[in-house]
Amino acid sequence: MNAGLNEYLILSGLLFALGFFGVLLRKNTLAIFMCLELMLVASTLAVVAFSRFNGTLDGDVFVFFILTVAAAEVAVGLAIIVALFRRRQTVQVEELNALKN
Amino acid sequence: MPIQLLQQAAAANEWLAITPELMLALLALLLLVLELVLPRQLHTLIPATAIVAQIVIALGLAFNFDSAFTGPGTAFNGLLRLTADGQFLRLFFLVCSIFVCLLGTVCLAKQRMPRVEFYHLVLIITAAMMLLAQSNHFVLFFVALETVTVGFYILVSYFRESPLSLEAGLKYLVMGALSSSILLFGIVLLYGAAGNQALPGGSPNSMNFDQLRIFLTDNPGNFLASAGIVLVLAGVAFKIGAVPFQIWIPDVYQGAPTPVTAFLAVASKAAGFAVLLILTQRVFAPYQGLVIPVLSVMAAATILFGNLAALTQHNVKRLIGLSGVSHAGYLMIGVIAAYHEPHAIGAIWFYLSAYLLASFAVFGVMAHVAGPNDADQELDHYADLARDQPFLAAVLAIGLGSLAGIPPLAGFMGKLLIFVSAFKAGLYPLLAVAIAGVVISIYYYFGWIKAAFFPAWRPTDAGLPQAAVPARTPVNLGVRIALTVLAVTSVLLGFYQGAFGQWILTR
Repeated sequence: MNAGLNEYLILSGLLFALGFFGVLLRKNTLAIFMCLELMLVASTLAVVAFSRFNGTLDGDVFVFFILTVAAAEVAVGLAIIVALFRRRQTVQVEELNALKN
Repeated sequence: MPIQLLQQAAAANEWLAITPELMLALLALLLLVLELVLPRQLHTLIPATAIVAQIVIALGLAFNFDSAFTGPGTAFNGLLRLTADGQFLRLFFLVCSIFVCLLGTVCLAKQRMPRVEFYHLVLIITAAMMLLAQSNHFVLFFVALETVTVGFYILVSYFRESPLSLEAGLKYLVMGALSSSILLFGIVLLYGAAGNQALPGGSPNSMNFDQLRIFLTDNPGNFLASAGIVLVLAGVAFKIGAVPFQIWIPDVYQGAPTPVTAFLAVASKAAGFAVLLILTQRVFAPYQGLVIPVLSVMAAATILFGNLAALTQHNVKRLIGLSGVSHAGYLMIGVIAAYHEPHAIGAIWFYLSAYLLASFAVFGVMAHVAGPNDADQELDHYADLARDQPFLAAVLAIGLGSLAGIPPLAGFMGKLLIFVSAFKAGLYPLLAVAIAGVVISIYYYFGWIKAAFFPAWRPTDAGLPQAAVPARTPVNLGVRIALTVLAVTSVLLGFYQGAFGQWILTR
């Protein structure tokens, strides 16, 4: 069985939707963060599939940039989460409501 | 790969074309070195070095405004396109960064925090914004945008002792990363659609803006490309804070340190509009039928939501954030008008310049009124400001008046130019919404001025305890000069536009 471009795109769209709704519905900051990474990975999968089926290399090179950016985001993001946990002893979004009018 | 191809690629690297960005990056590194080399008592020189060096770079840029590289050509194999608009935005971001560094000296002096990294990050973000405003390729676009965004994650949560700042940082992180992912998915769809060489105009180099535009012209109504355009616009709308992607704005603005809020409100928003103009006017122009309705609905919703939500705010940072949302709405009207009326782009640059002057005047006052923890930003804290510090109150009044668009000030001219272009472009319904929005906005801006100028009403019988007003920071000479320049320029630019207005109309 051969997977064509459409199969890859459907898979990538599903992963993206999974990540998106995860971000909206999850309550734990770490889980939200993983869902964000899932969305980036979904884009990576789509870009590799396009690159393969269109016969161009640009997409494969773009993957390196996406991975680098994702790594930078994780480094900064986890640092913020750890610092916040030290101050507030929680990473549940419903308890992080100090900012309001 | 043949060696000639590599040589060709290297020959197109016009390093001189990105001199300002390189100088900023080197300056940022120099600051870190200075922190290591200088003895501790001389560390106060580091922010001064940063500000003076940036003024020198800005002057150099202004004198080389019409450089040999600006023109129809591209640099770095089509990664960059240097235009007159790009030169203007470079100057704009540099001026923002100078004022942010100046506000940083005021706010960081009240905190026990590492100082130098703040200026380092501001410089790096400024350089990345400059590249972003001139990008001509989705790879550079994405990397520059992410450099800006990740830098802002750190800056927003910079006061790491304060739970408010950290919470704002986390919210910005989640929202920013979400918008980046959406934008990235849009880029990937566009890349895939335009890279299909079976379709007319399909190109192996489909992340290049020029190639992408050729593809979009040849294939109206391509489904993948339409989906990609909508996702990319959604990602950009997050950055400029347009409805329905404005939810992060009040919380993040409230929690972030004041200089960072100013940086977000002015430079980040301007970068968003630079990108929006490049994308909608140049790249997605063949898909006007899709883009214009989306932008129109968003602009109207943004103006109404921003102004109505700002009405009930008591925290000045939230208030200025939500009023900034409505400013984004007015600017979006300019973007839509630019399809029919080329002057609209100049009007947008003028509006942003007036917004810069007025916003930094207001943020400069906010930095002095807030207490040592930088979190006391209620309207009540402005009581008796005119009596205690008349200078700050006067600057505040001019800044807020300009933001509200009161006639002799620069903000009025900005609004007028945008509305005139919208009128010429025939956008009457949007114009009506915008004017209603301006009328609403006068209420909350003047409420703020009233809080600063009129004595607060106090109950005669000592029933309720009074909210304590935090100690106000005295204004030092450098900041006093900067605030005077901002206020005076705001007034002058309203009366006389001169060479600047001329350039904007003829660009």
